[in-house]
Amino acid sequence: MPLPTFAPTSDERVIAGVCAGIAQTLAVDVTLVRLVFALLALAGGAGIVLYLALWAYSRRRRAWLAGLLALLAGSLLLSALGLSDRAVIGIALIAGGLALAWRRGGSFRPDAPLSYGGLALAALGAVALLSGGGAPSALLAPGAVAGALLLIAGPWVWRLAVERDAERTARIRSEERSDMATRVHDSVLQTLALIQRHAQEPRRVASLARRQERELRGWLYGDQPLGDESASLVAALQAAAGDVEELHGVRIELASAGDCPVDASMGALVLAAREAMTNAAKFAGVEEIDVYAEVTDEAVSVFVRDRGSGFDRAAVPADRRGLAESIEGRLERAGGRATIVTSPGAGTEVELHLPRRAS
Amino acid sequence: MKRRVVLVDDHDLFLAGVRAELGDAVEVVGQAGSVADAVPLIKELDPDVVLLDVHLPDGSGDAIINAVAPDRPGVRFLALSVSDAAEDVIAVIRAGARGYVTKTISGPELAAAIERVATGDAVFSPRLAGFVLDAFRAGKQVGGDAELDELTPREREVLQLIARGYMYKEIAARLHLSVKTVESHVSNVLRKLQLSTRHELARWATEHRLV
Repeated sequence: MPLPTFAPTSDERVIAGVCAGIAQTLAVDVTLVRLVFALLALAGGAGIVLYLALWAYSRRRRAWLAGLLALLAGSLLLSALGLSDRAVIGIALIAGGLALAWRRGGSFRPDAPLSYGGLALAALGAVALLSGGGAPSALLAPGAVAGALLLIAGPWVWRLAVERDAERTARIRSEERSDMATRVHDSVLQTLALIQRHAQEPRRVASLARRQERELRGWLYGDQPLGDESASLVAALQAAAGDVEELHGVRIELASAGDCPVDASMGALVLAAREAMTNAAKFAGVEEIDVYAEVTDEAVSVFVRDRGSGFDRAAVPADRRGLAESIEGRLERAGGRATIVTSPGAGTEVELHLPRRAS
Repeated sequence: MKRRVVLVDDHDLFLAGVRAELGDAVEVVGQAGSVADAVPLIKELDPDVVLLDVHLPDGSGDAIINAVAPDRPGVRFLALSVSDAAEDVIAVIRAGARGYVTKTISGPELAAAIERVATGDAVFSPRLAGFVLDAFRAGKQVGGDAELDELTPREREVLQLIARGYMYKEIAARLHLSVKTVESHVSNVLRKLQLSTRHELARWATEHRLV
């Protein structure tokens, strides 16, 4: 005899997912199933025991336990309906005996092997039932029922709670793991793929690896999540440096002392710093650029330095003056100043200085 | 005479890379991949310099320094790492490492750093200089050993230039000092970093997880 099966669902579950699992199998609304169980629970607690029975049943290995619990649920229901204890015990014995017989024999067909123990149990139940007369006896006090129920179900509820906690922890852990996997996929694996494609271009490979390293480190040790560049000045500078490294195949060494949040004028500082890094990458003819950001209570200073060709400020071509303008002009508008120290052959250092607003 | 160097890092690929980059500049006499392997190896070989990863599978670099230093006071340690949470780096320096460089350093630069450490000088990468400046932030200090707990304006200046990417000889030229004087400023900072009981230093290390 094939039994209907269902699996507890973890998606919509409240306790162990039994109601949700049943709702899914029967294709009905989960609230309806829960309502049924709640109503049955009022009938002497039968709903709760039935729930446990189904939960145990859904876990396969505990079929005998499920049977016992179902029996108990039925008994509770009957006694809640007003049957006498004797009658309840009788019916329970009959049901138990038949179940045992069925389990041993595998079916009720005449040629199936008989379970004498089971039949004896059923007969005993029948005797108890008939002699008891099945008449309603005085209803048990609700308190006694609840107490008994607590004794029976208490340990189980407690164990359920413990298991639920463990399962929730496991679920959170697995969510974290999948979050990690997504990030690794989005960043590290993509970078590795890019590196394979550009294996013939050492500079590009180096800058890809640097950028990935920076990003991972920011995520592992930084305060802000991966890819969130607006959180702090250092994070924003890191992102800018990463972009310049990737675009121009240079190495940017970023050092910092202190950090601060990024507001509009701080944003202008970051853009100017990025411009200075780009300039150094394009014109200095070096592979490494040093950037240092220092945040004090009064001001923020960012230094962008290269040991490259340098230039004579008096003889800058028009397009480069424009770039210098976008550094100096931008800083002035934000209330700071930019100083560019350079001469041919002596490298270039751009200092960006911005007072911090009292806030 | 070539400096005798032991490498301690659990990444074989990286070890091979460092060996290749260093080439003939130093003599690599041994290597280890864990704290447990490194400690007896270093004691046995007694090298000039140990290149040390900050993080190892069974502990951190400062555990090796603490275990080796009492028996082999002549061995110098140089931390070499990519995993630079500030407090980890400061912990290794406070344990006694003579400097900290990042793994992206070039072969010749690394060889120069090893030589500098072997002669008892300190090696500060720009990043470490930034960490240290942040840890010794001006003001706020009341009481305590002022000499150890504060950087002098000159030391601060030197550290700022290191953080900005200046080399010792560039710093010397800019500040009109000799290279030896710059080196002694850096060594003083290292000493303060190792000996200071400034409570901000400990608090800073736990509060700031700056990269």
